Amino acid sequence: MRLSRVFTPAFLSSLTESVFAGAVGFVVGGLVLWVLGYNPLSTFYYLLQGSVGSPTNFSVTLNNAAPLILTAICFAIGLRAGLFNIGAEGQVYVGAAAAVAVAFFSLPVGLHLALSIIVAGAAGALWSLPAFLLKASRGVNEVISTIMLNWLGFYSILWVSLNWLVDPNRSEKTISVPATMRFPDLLGGAGISSAILFSVLIAFGYYGYLWLTPSGYELRAVGLNPDAARFGGIAPKKALLSAFALGGFASGIAGAIQVAGRGPPYAIYTTLGNVQNFGFNGIGVSLIGKNHPVAIILAGIFFGALQAGATNVQLYARVPYEIVQVIEGIIVVAIAAPDILKKIRGLGK
Amino acid sequence: MGEEGELIKTVNLTKVYPDGTVALKGVDFDVQKGEIHGLLGENGAGKTTLTKILSGILKPTAGEIHVRNEKVTMKRPQDGLALGIGMVHQHFALVRRFTAFENIVLGTKVNPAGRKADTTKKQIEDLSSRLGLKVPLDELVENLSLGVQQRVEIIKMLYRNVDLLILDEPTSSLTPTESDELFKTLKKLKNEGRGIIFITHKLREVMENCDRITVLRQGQVSGRTDAGQVDPRTLARMMVGRDVVLELSRPPFSPGDVILAVRELTVLNNSGEEVVEQVSLSVRRGEIFGIAGVEGNGQTELAEAISGVKPLAKGQISLAGNDISHASPNLVRRSGAALIPEDRRFMGLVTEMTVAENTILGKQREKQFRSGYFTIAWKKVNNFTNSLIARFGIVTQGPKSVVKSMSGGNQQKLVVSRELSSEPDFILASQPTRGLDVASTEYMRKLLLQLRGANKGVLLISSDLDEIFQLADTIGVMYEGKLIDVVSSEGLTRDKIGLLMGGVKE
Amino acid sequence: MSDLSQIGFLSIISLNAMVPVALAALGEIFAEKAGVVNIGLEGVMLVGAWFGIYATWLTFNPFVGIGMGFVLGAFFGLIHGYISVYLKGDQIISGVGINLFALGFVPFSIVAVWGVAGAFSSPVTFPLILTPWGQLSYWVPITFVVGVVLWYVLQKTRLGLNVRATGENPEAADAVGINVERLRLFATVFGSALAGLAGSYMSVDLNGAITKEIVAGRGFIALATVVFSGWNPLLGIVGALVFGFAQGGSIWISFNPAIRSAIPNVDFVLSMVPYIATLVVVTALGARSRVPKYVGIPYKRE
Repeated sequence: MRLSRVFTPAFLSSLTESVFAGAVGFVVGGLVLWVLGYNPLSTFYYLLQGSVGSPTNFSVTLNNAAPLILTAICFAIGLRAGLFNIGAEGQVYVGAAAAVAVAFFSLPVGLHLALSIIVAGAAGALWSLPAFLLKASRGVNEVISTIMLNWLGFYSILWVSLNWLVDPNRSEKTISVPATMRFPDLLGGAGISSAILFSVLIAFGYYGYLWLTPSGYELRAVGLNPDAARFGGIAPKKALLSAFALGGFASGIAGAIQVAGRGPPYAIYTTLGNVQNFGFNGIGVSLIGKNHPVAIILAGIFFGALQAGATNVQLYARVPYEIVQVIEGIIVVAIAAPDILKKIRGLGK
Repeated sequence: MGEEGELIKTVNLTKVYPDGTVALKGVDFDVQKGEIHGLLGENGAGKTTLTKILSGILKPTAGEIHVRNEKVTMKRPQDGLALGIGMVHQHFALVRRFTAFENIVLGTKVNPAGRKADTTKKQIEDLSSRLGLKVPLDELVENLSLGVQQRVEIIKMLYRNVDLLILDEPTSSLTPTESDELFKTLKKLKNEGRGIIFITHKLREVMENCDRITVLRQGQVSGRTDAGQVDPRTLARMMVGRDVVLELSRPPFSPGDVILAVRELTVLNNSGEEVVEQVSLSVRRGEIFGIAGVEGNGQTELAEAISGVKPLAKGQISLAGNDISHASPNLVRRSGAALIPEDRRFMGLVTEMTVAENTILGKQREKQFRSGYFTIAWKKVNNFTNSLIARFGIVTQGPKSVVKSMSGGNQQKLVVSRELSSEPDFILASQPTRGLDVASTEYMRKLLLQLRGANKGVLLISSDLDEIFQLADTIGVMYEGKLIDVVSSEGLTRDKIGLLMGGVKE
Repeated sequence: MSDLSQIGFLSIISLNAMVPVALAALGEIFAEKAGVVNIGLEGVMLVGAWFGIYATWLTFNPFVGIGMGFVLGAFFGLIHGYISVYLKGDQIISGVGINLFALGFVPFSIVAVWGVAGAFSSPVTFPLILTPWGQLSYWVPITFVVGVVLWYVLQKTRLGLNVRATGENPEAADAVGINVERLRLFATVFGSALAGLAGSYMSVDLNGAITKEIVAGRGFIALATVVFSGWNPLLGIVGALVFGFAQGGSIWISFNPAIRSAIPNVDFVLSMVPYIATLVVVTALGARSRVPKYVGIPYKRE
């Protein structure tokens, strides 16, 4: 592929927007740090060190990125169909729980992991179905229904973890998934889980679906112009179902990755602490990646880096790790403002 | 040095849009008191841009505007209104969910729910009876016919003491009778000393009703004349820059068998009301059946029902003997139809997608475009697209360019080429030349005649009466959902059609 | 407790619970009538809640605390409004960003300012009205008043007419000289201010503390309320009451000892009630057709 075909003017301007938004995030985030009495520079230093400063840290970055890429794709595929599916949060909880449930069975290596991935994905897809049904039959706005499902998912999985999946010896977590079900590490020994490879493959898979298959074409057409799509004989509801189901499937697998790909403990904390916020951060990743499966991979790694650095920051700079979430939020707000560079240049005239 | 009685004048007016398009270049234009000044030009010539600048909606890039002999700078529409300049847009700037009264006083100091409301209503009623513009003030605008809505717009301007009234394509949504009423009102206003700018692309209207005519072409003034001293040929040449064929020759009418039969078709709208009532018609091979009527009388829904986009409540539709009453658009197409939608940007094309992607809209699952079982072979699609581009002369950078950047005429060609590529026997063409420049309009009309000559059946729905007269062999008129009469076009006069369009059947 | 006092008790809890959803929904109705949608309501409420406690802690004055929630909400409304109205940015993305920001900012600031993780209690709480069935917040009647006033402004004043015109057909409004952008910004700032107030009410009055889960989806429930109220402030209060009773009902049930012993972790189960209730109501009423025509679409003149 010739470079000039990849780096089109449209691509470059999108990239500039994303980079600029990132810069705004760090500047304003730095301001917040400074106002509350912290040192922005040392914070950023530890952030950097924690994310890419050593092979171990970089592996944490990649391990963080894996589930984020998938929840980002969930949002992105919804957007491509003209939907606002922000239900990844709940779908991740459900997928993680489903994966843990599979741990109760004993199956040979390989098969065990494959089954858990499929079950987790299916669980995520099923959790997105009510939103589809409500929208298709009663026109219920999916922003509201998916958020309600997120909270329902939160409380139900909280209950399920404590009552059905809990580890009899250690009540702060569910049972751990056995070795037969865990994602193997990539060669090289740096502790990089193969989950990242898996996520990247899925991302490319969704890209192929959207641009190379008739069904993906129909989904894109419905998202861009539902009237023209209908006139061309495409049934919008079919496309919506695909978007919801495929999105839920990806998020469910993200849940499985957090359980079967990260450890210790290879389990869900009964506070759900280690499966929270993937949905919302996935939205941020998707927006920075301009909703394109391939750019999302890069954006996912960026957010993964931020989160890897966050624990480092908490440890060494004594800054609460949520500062990273603050920066992420600011970046997304900055992305909302279009052509902001042009406006700033215009002011200078 | 201005003249007595000059209302507005532009000197060397230029407008360049942010994306670089030059909409107006060096335009000198003026309107006098007590004058109806026609602004003629084809779509995209700059008429709307000029008037938007005159009313303060847009700012000029260069040049001067003088109002009543004083130079002015207008920054927003409010400035225009303050100077007594008001514009009635083609798609009315009315809040449909408000009443007529609320719309008229919107933006003034009057509170429609307040104490002064009743006295103001009386004032407005006096004003409207004086000019013969009756309007039901407490009715919601969305329940008013387009003709009455236009009256609300005009009263809105007159209530604000507008001296210079600009009307953008005012007759596009009116029946011939309503148009006559409008012109009577305009003459009254003219006699009161106001100035009127009348934008249109219809030669006849401008010659019959205006005092002076200015013709714009590609953003520049290409001609100025007094209405009484010019003939249609010259005007058309000023509009287009070359000789225009005003009359297309139609070969003799020799129809074949019936290709489309519609029986007692009834279609309901979202609120359950009948918008198409018991319509029956048949189209034969080698025939152009034209459906005339002002937009909003059920033509859109009729086309949607035949296309399979909207379900029908009662009745039957059959194409070449096959029942397509409940068929999806693709099934209708496979039965031998080409469907040209009335709004290419909303229904016919996905403008954000590429030319190639739009070419296979509806055909994306066909075997000829597949590679393997699951995927689309874009190479095959590109080849197909290139062949269509060549056959229909579509101007575009290639299969990969985005449709949004194409001109209206080429977009329409794209839709048509896609639909005709399946060699249909029947063509449903809804408002096929709407918004197109003269060259593209000519192309489309010639194409429809060609199809007729190739023994296809054409159902043409058009609110452009000239188009119907030029092309149709048989004419049906729709009014309030009913097909109130079907007549042969031989010997049919404008007056008779005008009455039918207004619901009057003799 | 007797039956009447049970009902009284339930009503008090429900009315108090109604306030945050009602205030946020009322504000959002006003903003959406003008054509701007704020998905970031949840985030504004959350940050408003934090600021309410912070200001109360600084001044030992709960009135200032709740007031600061209003002010902070206005500040975020300014940002969101500026991006949406003047920069013609994507309103949904801006809202999502505000939510993400709040999710990080609140726990971060709780640690940063007070050195504790998770929750911080307010040193002073807001005064309450004492009734035989429990303590009713002053903000309950205030909310009713706000609802009625908003209805009146929208339907019976020139300002309301202009706001509605801006949302229904900004071109028509522009053509008669209404400053569409300024009006939309004002509506957004005001709507967001009410959301901030709703948040600080929750922290300073209702709960007496700030935690990062304090809002728990109420911002989105407010958005749902806007839709099923048909953008009518009076119905918006009714919708918020429905939520309030769902919330109140589930708290009331949670006090029942028989249920507590029958179901383990019953609090989790009962917490789901308000969300189920919202889903049921939204589904039953379907998609409303009275949405302001141009909501969410920026207005450009050229």
